[in-house]
Amino acid sequence: MTTKSKRPAEVDAPDESITEPGTVDEDRPESAPAIPEAATPDDGPEAAKTKPVDEPMPTDTIDADSDPATPADSVPAETAAPSGMSTDPGAAAEPPPAAEPVTEVTEPLTEAEPDLPVEPPAAVGELATALSRLRAAIGGATYPLVMPSAEEAGRIGTALVSQLDDYLLPRLARLDAPLLVVVGGSTGAGKSTLVNSLVRAPVSTAGVLRPTTRSPVLVCHPSDSPWFRQGQLLPSLTRTAEGSSDPRALQLVSAPALGPGLAFLDAPDIDSVVEGNRALAAQLLAAADLWLFVTTAARYADAVPWELLTTARLRGTVIALVLDRVPPEAAGEVSTHLGEMLAARDMGAAPLFVLPESALDGQGLLPEGAMRPLRDWFAQLAADAEARAAVVKQTLDGALAALGPAVAGLAEAADEQAKAAKALDERVTAAYRTGRRTIEAGLQDGRLLRGEVLARWQEFIGTGEFLRTLESRVGQLRDKVVAAVTGRPAPGRNLQAALETQLVTLLRGVAADAAEQAYSAWQAHPAGAALLDPALQKASADLPQRAERVVRDWQRFVLDLVRSEAGDKRTLARGTAYAVNGVGLTVMVAVFTSTAFIPTGAEVAVGAGTTIAAQKVLEALFGDQAIRTLAARAREELLARVDVLLEAEAARYTDRTAAVRLELEPGAALRQAAADVERAREEVALTGTPS
Amino acid sequence: MSLVERVKNALARDDRVDPEQLVARLDALGRFLRVTDPYLPDNDLVAAHTLVERAGSRLALSQDHTVVALAGSTGSGKSSLFNALARLKLSPVGVRRPTTGVAHACVWGPLGPANKLLDWVGVLPRQRYIRESALDGDDEAALRGLVLLDLPDFDSVERGHRLEVDRLLGLVDQVVWVVDPQKYGDRILHNAYLRQFKQHSDITIVVLNQADRLSPGDTEIVLTDLRRLLTEDGLTDVPAMATSAKQPGMLTELRAALEKTVAERQSALRRLAGDLDLVAEQLGATIGPPAAEDEVDRATVRQLSEALAASAGVPAVASATAGAYRHRAIASTGWPLVRGVRKLRPDPLKRLHLSTEKPAPSTDLVPVSRTSLPEADAAQKSAVGLSVRAVAARAAAPIPEVWAPALNAAARSRLGDLPDALDRAVARTDLGMSRKPLWWTAVGLLQWLLTIAAVVGLGWLIAGYAVRIIGLPAFDDPMVGEVPLPTLLLLGGLLLGALLALLLHPIVNLGAKRAGRRAEQRLRVSVTEVAREYVVAPVREVLNSYAQAREALTVVRSE
Repeated sequence: MTTKSKRPAEVDAPDESITEPGTVDEDRPESAPAIPEAATPDDGPEAAKTKPVDEPMPTDTIDADSDPATPADSVPAETAAPSGMSTDPGAAAEPPPAAEPVTEVTEPLTEAEPDLPVEPPAAVGELATALSRLRAAIGGATYPLVMPSAEEAGRIGTALVSQLDDYLLPRLARLDAPLLVVVGGSTGAGKSTLVNSLVRAPVSTAGVLRPTTRSPVLVCHPSDSPWFRQGQLLPSLTRTAEGSSDPRALQLVSAPALGPGLAFLDAPDIDSVVEGNRALAAQLLAAADLWLFVTTAARYADAVPWELLTTARLRGTVIALVLDRVPPEAAGEVSTHLGEMLAARDMGAAPLFVLPESALDGQGLLPEGAMRPLRDWFAQLAADAEARAAVVKQTLDGALAALGPAVAGLAEAADEQAKAAKALDERVTAAYRTGRRTIEAGLQDGRLLRGEVLARWQEFIGTGEFLRTLESRVGQLRDKVVAAVTGRPAPGRNLQAALETQLVTLLRGVAADAAEQAYSAWQAHPAGAALLDPALQKASADLPQRAERVVRDWQRFVLDLVRSEAGDKRTLARGTAYAVNGVGLTVMVAVFTSTAFIPTGAEVAVGAGTTIAAQKVLEALFGDQAIRTLAARAREELLARVDVLLEAEAARYTDRTAAVRLELEPGAALRQAAADVERAREEVALTGTPS
Repeated sequence: MSLVERVKNALARDDRVDPEQLVARLDALGRFLRVTDPYLPDNDLVAAHTLVERAGSRLALSQDHTVVALAGSTGSGKSSLFNALARLKLSPVGVRRPTTGVAHACVWGPLGPANKLLDWVGVLPRQRYIRESALDGDDEAALRGLVLLDLPDFDSVERGHRLEVDRLLGLVDQVVWVVDPQKYGDRILHNAYLRQFKQHSDITIVVLNQADRLSPGDTEIVLTDLRRLLTEDGLTDVPAMATSAKQPGMLTELRAALEKTVAERQSALRRLAGDLDLVAEQLGATIGPPAAEDEVDRATVRQLSEALAASAGVPAVASATAGAYRHRAIASTGWPLVRGVRKLRPDPLKRLHLSTEKPAPSTDLVPVSRTSLPEADAAQKSAVGLSVRAVAARAAAPIPEVWAPALNAAARSRLGDLPDALDRAVARTDLGMSRKPLWWTAVGLLQWLLTIAAVVGLGWLIAGYAVRIIGLPAFDDPMVGEVPLPTLLLLGGLLLGALLALLLHPIVNLGAKRAGRRAEQRLRVSVTEVAREYVVAPVREVLNSYAQAREALTVVRSE
């Protein structure tokens, strides 16, 4: 920012612009937002001349000089008071607050107008584009899973979006728009009274009831009101002309007593029982070029406002503090303590005005004397376009710089969401995979399925009861032999008898187990526990019907399979079947002999012999191998159908995380957009320190 | 309860808390916790546990003292009010916020008896003051027994203060909320504190301090607004009054209220009663309609025992029993000539390693060996799992959801032991095969007689043949009708034996069927016993606890 603008004619020469030692080394704009860079001692007096914008950024406590009770305390304040706020009542009173600065300001403004395009518009445009993209990315990110970071991220995301809409984008579009001072603070701190006293008119209702102000009031010079009325800034608030209690309305009041280029916004409180007020106040504060934080002697150590102050500091908003309602005897101690607290929180550079507890005049305004330092400070600011621009740019730059870390937090939260969703899905998958394995093991020996295939085959071929018996006897014998040889126990029952029932029971049992397992796995995960509902603990209600359907469909498939496989062999097979009855009879006798008369030990040998014979016969007849192949295919098919069934069951869980899984790396988009904004911000270099 | 009685009760009660009844309610709460502790989630019970412990401690300590806390935001003038009430400068007052970091206590009357109470409340000895000296005379006598606490704030940047306030607010008997014109509408005051005290409106006083800063008219407006906010918080009939530490006249109302509190000696009891109401309300969600212990109905148990029977191989054992009957009957009554062959085949029951003897009655002394029954297959295991779940679900149906996990866990608690228990039950069941039916022996004898007859006939014939061979005079065989006796003996013996065996076949089959059925019935009885012991009993235990908890909560709720 190269300015060689003429200094506006000042009442007081700024020659004694004193810099605070503690603020000297702060040269990074985002970390020392309230301290413009000119404060570095190297610049020395030259800086004081060339960068007069710094003066309205005082660095120390300013006491109400009109307060006779605190002469000792006001001494350091006076020495440190910047030129703009002369402690000399005469000097300060000399310029009529409204008239003279106005005329003077108009001149620098006309000079400043051509100054603005000096900044590369392309870079600003690029920044605006990057911001729009970032806004889309933030608006698009969701945090549906309950995680430690999610609620916070959702809140920050909403806040960032509204900050972008309410402030950053409109402000970037018009850097020369009037400076908006948001007066915020606790309920009962006297914000409305302060605003009224600043503009010397009862524009905002003050009262004893808490909270008093429900709907924000914006006070500006008549010449500025078109800008505020057109609603680029804070677009979500409806503009009204008269007061209302609707929190979504913004009352616009013109006050000629106020200089142009400066507007005050009386915000609702941040800590009363009215929930909406806090959100609205936070939104308004995010739109502030300068935050005038009002607190009182009773309140200045409250936790809630300090949280907001910390947020504002991190965001780089320029802050000024008013300590209101100070009992005369407490002024020294309280202001010192507040100063310590500010310093401890890295806000020691913010100007502090102390207003004594005083009776209001007939109009409900604070006495002129007490208000003077504050009024003078603002008059100075109003008079100096450069100073205003510096404040605007500093806050804007700070807010832009603060986007990076905030968005990084969001990106992390988004990544965590994706990670948690993945972990949850894995738990569900594991549970249902166990179920599938159980079913696979249940079908392991294939007898069940071969029985089904064989039965269908025989039904299809149309062989008689005799051959069927023969086949089943042979089958049993073979299993016995296999059992004797391999040592596996022989089956006790004929599984085929109730195939449907058995399969359905198996499926139901497995689905119930898996649902329960998945349920307890999710319950152990904070995000999972929030997604659960009791119905998930059991398998879905229509599972028995669907399992039955799966089994029936599979049986039809087996039938079709047999049909297509047998096809033309049918007649041949039937003929052969009858023709071979004699052989069958022989086998039958062999079987009978082996089971009825031969002792167990010998059974094996004969059985094996018979089995081989029987198998040969069967192979000759139907091709036992073909049946085995068919059985294997039937098994595969059954497992595939079971998979579909179990997947549908698992989907009851995984559907709940589906919203998160759409993007694999949701954080990446946010990080990219934030990095673009940061790059563009550095190029634009609002505060004149390209890094 | 008749209307008259109820009205009488209402009049008699006049919001005094009967200590004995309070103790009874607390005991009931303790009982409730004992029975529900293993089953309900800890989170639901924390408040109740805390209350039982705290109430026990408080009731054991001095009942003559009433601990009143001044609580409020930073800067609302708690310490000033404290000093003004004590008429001494005890607690430091300041403009620096937050001023008071630790609780101060002032005791009206001798400190000695109150010391234990203050130890328990946790006020440091050097922060305890006495407000009674000979100088006062009887001025302060009305407040004797009052222990006034000046609490730290709860809304300043010092987080530690808030923790201390939260702790102390749980222990005191009465709370005076000190608010001021600036802060009476703060969210933290209403949401985090006053709303939590809505069960305690009888031990709550709200004072609008620093009323001297407002004009009398404004004071009335603010007080009205404050009362509106209190009503929104649920504190409808709480006394709200304006006070000021600077104008002694504005303290009389508060002083009178405190004097009444101290005189009644009721605050500690009311506080605990209010806490009990709150806890009882919270616990109400865990208790619903009554659940009978036999909630698990017969149909569910039958379904369970059927699944268990299938998985224990009961049908297989039954058919093996039938087979064994047939096997043994044929071995005893069959045609003696082929009887031996039958013995070469294994006895079906023995193949399953099931004893045919009657099991010893003292079941615990004789170890039971594992049977050779095949293990249950996947479908059977699934069926068992499903029916166990059904038992839990049936039991959980009428009672609140929060018990469902406990019931489910109870039903499964012994699932791992089930296979072995079933196997033992099957092995121990008397299958009714230990005794050999008499008619088997009779028929067996007859068969032997017939065989002997045949052998005699054969021997006779051989002897006659041999005599004829060696040329001796032939026997003069006695004749039965046209047939010689030896031939009749031989053929008759053989034919009759075979015929007998053939005729008995259907009877044996019938007997086998009956034996199988009988065995199945007995096995099912055993399996049902296992089901009751291993699945239903743990569920009933939980239901029993539920019933006890329900009864205890009824007592807790009684007022």
